[in-house]
Amino acid sequence: MTHKGTATFIAQRTSAVILLPLAIWFLAGAVAHTGSTYEEVRAWLATPLNAGLMGALILTGAFHMRIGVNEIVDDYAPASSRGLWKLLNLLAAAGVAGISIYSLVVLAA
Amino acid sequence: MAASITHRATGIALYSGTVVLAVWIFATALGAEAFRPVGAILSSPIGQMALSGYVWALIFHAFNGLRHLYWDQGRGLDLKSARATALAAFAASFGLAAVIVVAGLMNRAG
Repeated sequence: MTHKGTATFIAQRTSAVILLPLAIWFLAGAVAHTGSTYEEVRAWLATPLNAGLMGALILTGAFHMRIGVNEIVDDYAPASSRGLWKLLNLLAAAGVAGISIYSLVVLAA
Repeated sequence: MAASITHRATGIALYSGTVVLAVWIFATALGAEAFRPVGAILSSPIGQMALSGYVWALIFHAFNGLRHLYWDQGRGLDLKSARATALAAFAASFGLAAVIVVAGLMNRAG
């Protein structure tokens, strides 16, 4: 948050606002699928609408959580290790996004 | 103060939860065989407790995030308002999380 502070601030807030309705959809879907069979879960996730919303939730969430954890790294990690933590953070967030989008494409195809 | 550190703690919890969500989606895409162990862990008592905690973390982080968005407007920044909205975020998140967890358990019981 040193040289790109304002852009990061706006990106964090914008993704937060996008996540609010997606979180409501997600919680509703989670409650509706407690106790569902594999076939029911798969059918639910495989519709284009639900796959799209889940993809939007994961992508926006990965983007948002990377910013948040970078902020925590800036506050707590010693300067010498910040770059490594931020790289690991990027790889984890990108991994979560990549594996989820791949899976959703497989499901909805 | 407490709400600030809880915002970060729930953020970290949601990070882990998103990894679990990705694993769950991946297992669903792989097929019934791959989904079985993931579904078994999530529906075990420990899995259900973790999911309940995840629900609360998501709701608290969302409510406390609304406080941040409100502060960004330059409002609610005095100590008295900040304390009142912090208390509201804790109370509302516990209440709503309890409703959602009970709804899920009732739905599961059929």
